[in-house]
Amino acid sequence: MSYLAHSVKSVPTGFSRVLHLNWPIILLLSAIASVGFLMLYSVAGGSMTPWAEPQMKRFALGLFVMFSVAMIPVWFLRNIAGLAYLISVGLLVAVEFVGATGMGAQRWIDLGFMRLQPSELMKITLIMFLAAYYDWLPVKKVSHPFWVILPLILIVIPVYLVLRQPDLGTALLLVFGGGGLMFIAGVSWLYFATVIGAGVGLVTAVFQSRGTDWQLLKDYQYRRIDTFLDPASDPLGAGYHITQSKIALGSGGWTGRGYMQGTQSRLNFLPEKHTDFIFTTLAEEFGFVGGLSLLGLYVLVLIFCIASALSNKDRFASLMTMGIALTFFLFFAVNMSMVMGLAPVVGVPLPLVSYGGSAMLVLLLAFGLVQSAHVHRPR
Amino acid sequence: MIRTPLRPLAQILEARSAGQNPDRIERENIRLRHEQMRDKLRQRAETRLLVLGVLFLVGFTLIGTRMTVLASSDPVEPQASASAARIVAQRANIVDRQGRVLATNLATNSFYAQPPLMVDPTRAASELIKIFPDLDEKDLLEKFTGPRKFLWIKKKLSPEQVQAVHDIGEPGLLFGPREMRLYPNGRLAAHILGGASFGREGVHSAEVIGTAGVEKAFDDYLRDPALDGAPLQLSIDLSIQAAARRVLMGGMKLMNAKGATAILMDVKTGELISMTSLPDFDPNRRPKPLIKGDPSDSPLFNRAVQGVYELGSTFKIFAAAQALELGLVNPATMIETKGPMRWGRHRIRDFHDYGPELSVTDVIVKSSNIGTAHMAINIGTARQKEFLAQLGFTTPTPVELVEAPGAKPLLPPKWSDISTMTISYGHGLAASPLHLAAAYATIVNGGTKVTPTLVKQIGEPPLGPRIISERTSLQARQMLRAVVTSGTASFGEVTGYKVGGKTGTADKPKPQGGYHKDKVIATFASAFPMDDPQYVLIVTLDEPSENSGTEPRRTAGWTAVPVAAEMIRRVAPLLGLRPALDPGDLVGVSHTRL
Repeated sequence: MSYLAHSVKSVPTGFSRVLHLNWPIILLLSAIASVGFLMLYSVAGGSMTPWAEPQMKRFALGLFVMFSVAMIPVWFLRNIAGLAYLISVGLLVAVEFVGATGMGAQRWIDLGFMRLQPSELMKITLIMFLAAYYDWLPVKKVSHPFWVILPLILIVIPVYLVLRQPDLGTALLLVFGGGGLMFIAGVSWLYFATVIGAGVGLVTAVFQSRGTDWQLLKDYQYRRIDTFLDPASDPLGAGYHITQSKIALGSGGWTGRGYMQGTQSRLNFLPEKHTDFIFTTLAEEFGFVGGLSLLGLYVLVLIFCIASALSNKDRFASLMTMGIALTFFLFFAVNMSMVMGLAPVVGVPLPLVSYGGSAMLVLLLAFGLVQSAHVHRPR
Repeated sequence: MIRTPLRPLAQILEARSAGQNPDRIERENIRLRHEQMRDKLRQRAETRLLVLGVLFLVGFTLIGTRMTVLASSDPVEPQASASAARIVAQRANIVDRQGRVLATNLATNSFYAQPPLMVDPTRAASELIKIFPDLDEKDLLEKFTGPRKFLWIKKKLSPEQVQAVHDIGEPGLLFGPREMRLYPNGRLAAHILGGASFGREGVHSAEVIGTAGVEKAFDDYLRDPALDGAPLQLSIDLSIQAAARRVLMGGMKLMNAKGATAILMDVKTGELISMTSLPDFDPNRRPKPLIKGDPSDSPLFNRAVQGVYELGSTFKIFAAAQALELGLVNPATMIETKGPMRWGRHRIRDFHDYGPELSVTDVIVKSSNIGTAHMAINIGTARQKEFLAQLGFTTPTPVELVEAPGAKPLLPPKWSDISTMTISYGHGLAASPLHLAAAYATIVNGGTKVTPTLVKQIGEPPLGPRIISERTSLQARQMLRAVVTSGTASFGEVTGYKVGGKTGTADKPKPQGGYHKDKVIATFASAFPMDDPQYVLIVTLDEPSENSGTEPRRTAGWTAVPVAAEMIRRVAPLLGLRPALDPGDLVGVSHTRL
């Protein structure tokens, strides 16, 4: 896609690159972020503080980061992908030693001006590095066992580090994001079938063995799994968020109670109402229509990303764009499923809407990569 | 990229001969090969993307469907019924025999803090001090900023306090619903109700458990969820309890007593209509038990049930009744009263010298120890013991108070002949005023056993086993009536209510042995109306002293009797008894003869 320029035969350089950005994505992201500002303003009881204003500042900063990254040639990004991955893993290790603890999990490094969540960064750098890996790897070798195990190790290292924090949500996103990228890159079906089969077999074995002599887990572990899978069995404990957000969604109905009229979130029934569970506020105030509209915005972003990836002849750029699109999809799909009780609560924010600096900055950085891939695509 | 093309020499030569550049052809070949590979790759990638696209679609569909389902559902508040550790907070009310509330529950709030949720602990602490001056700001701040995740601040808050704490606006200060026990009548019936306090406490509720009295005795009943909050109905009548307490309070002060108790009992059912022990307490703020000293000096001490006293001459009627029952005497039989009476190395004296002999009625009316002792020795130890056991004097009262089983009567270690004689006039055996009430009810109600109870009886409960005959009961009633009309309890007459009764004044034992000369337990055991007794009233004063005369008068006739008379005067109309007024002499009126 190009704007103003009628026909571009070569990769644009200089300021003209701005004209070749994927503007629809930028507009969609701004629209989603604006929904976030509105909701944060509402959950604060009609106040810019403590959430809406910092969120706006961060979004502005994030846009700046996005434009900056978009100006970086995509081949340079490919060349530094390995380094970026190593730095992210290093930061994850560093969190073990100097990390600050928030809500029972060790996740941040305090940089003074902001708190850095290396696990957020990891989601992007893992995608980058895997994309660079498959760009480098001859297509013939993609399904060779050795060349399959190598990226698996690249995924497992950060997943292990993130699980130690412990942050199950991010770990799952890493696994699915990385695995998805391997799938797009063309790794043989057989591997995926094997992994899925083994996973299903293990889960079946664990549940089948329950109550028999060769029981694989302890009783209390089973009970934890039960509550995790069915939070409704403990409505005032583990299931509290879920029950409350279900009430909020039900109370919103089709058209919602109106902006700033939500009761569930306003009356403090919902902890984390401004972060992971902000979708409930939206659903309560704008109802089914509002929720579906937001979903529509996300889907549009996804479509533009996939279109960009498909039209890109550069393998690295294409894979990276797809990987980021996949991660973006996982973000909001997991969050919405979690809020609506379809998936267990694993602590994944709603992208660009939930309050949170690291997540937003990293996400806009990721879309900077997408833009760079788009701008510098081979013509 | 591995370079594979090996140019067939023939092709090169052919190209050269055709005047073309073979390098260009080679490049073209390579390009085509690359394009082919890319196409293959693209095709594969597109299949993969398609699969992924389908996955995305499934995801959207799921989310969209779920959103539809939730949006069309009615919001339902979840019920926390699954939790096994649920604390049952609801406690049944206690009501009086008319259904008036004696104990109920009040919804209040407990107050706790969760420091991790706090925004500004410093401000929270300083604001809390303004609301609760009894808290220590430094201590609070230390706890708020410390590692604790949870701490109680107050167990009960008034609505005003809740509002004030709300107004601080600190999210880390939280409230939990709390039901507390409320006794709306304050000190009335304090000893009967006892009190309640919190047992297991949780954030969302707390257990209220009985600590004393009926609350503890019926704890399981009151907390039984199966009864669905049906109140416990006591036999107590709130109005009569209030009137009796007021009179007893005045009497205690007037007689300079340090303690007093009054028991009003239905003679047939054994229901306690009122039971007061003074000094009392407010069960809403139950005081702590005394750590040192005599527990009977504590306001918590229920003299009516826990107070085990030698009850003096009130016991004489039992000896007379038994002698009548056994046919040893009739009311007119003359009994030797020449004193002092010697028995071994013991001597029994009377208050006055009543001459050589008195009729059985006069022994009771004038309260002769010697005459009673003579009757007792004729009855004999074994028979006396059995009779008193039948009247309930050898075991604790079975009344429904948690304190009752602990109040065992004090029996002589060796029930010798001299014990038999002293017990017949109320010395050497100590029992509670409630024991006395039940025994008097048996004597005057026609002779059937009475079991004291605090629970309202439904309908007409069956009579207890017969202990004395109707005839003996009638004769005993006539004697008790005579005590009031012409004996020691002459202040007990209440016009129209035909009060009968027996006084008893017993020296208080010293803790180290022997008896005080100037400290007595004065008791008036009475029943009314004597022609068809309905109620027994026991009034006992602890260390009374009536000081209007030249020297202090302590005997029951001067102290307990006037108080009891005043009480009957006040409560008899409330009980629905009509005064039976004596028409008097009809002067100048003649019957019309037909």
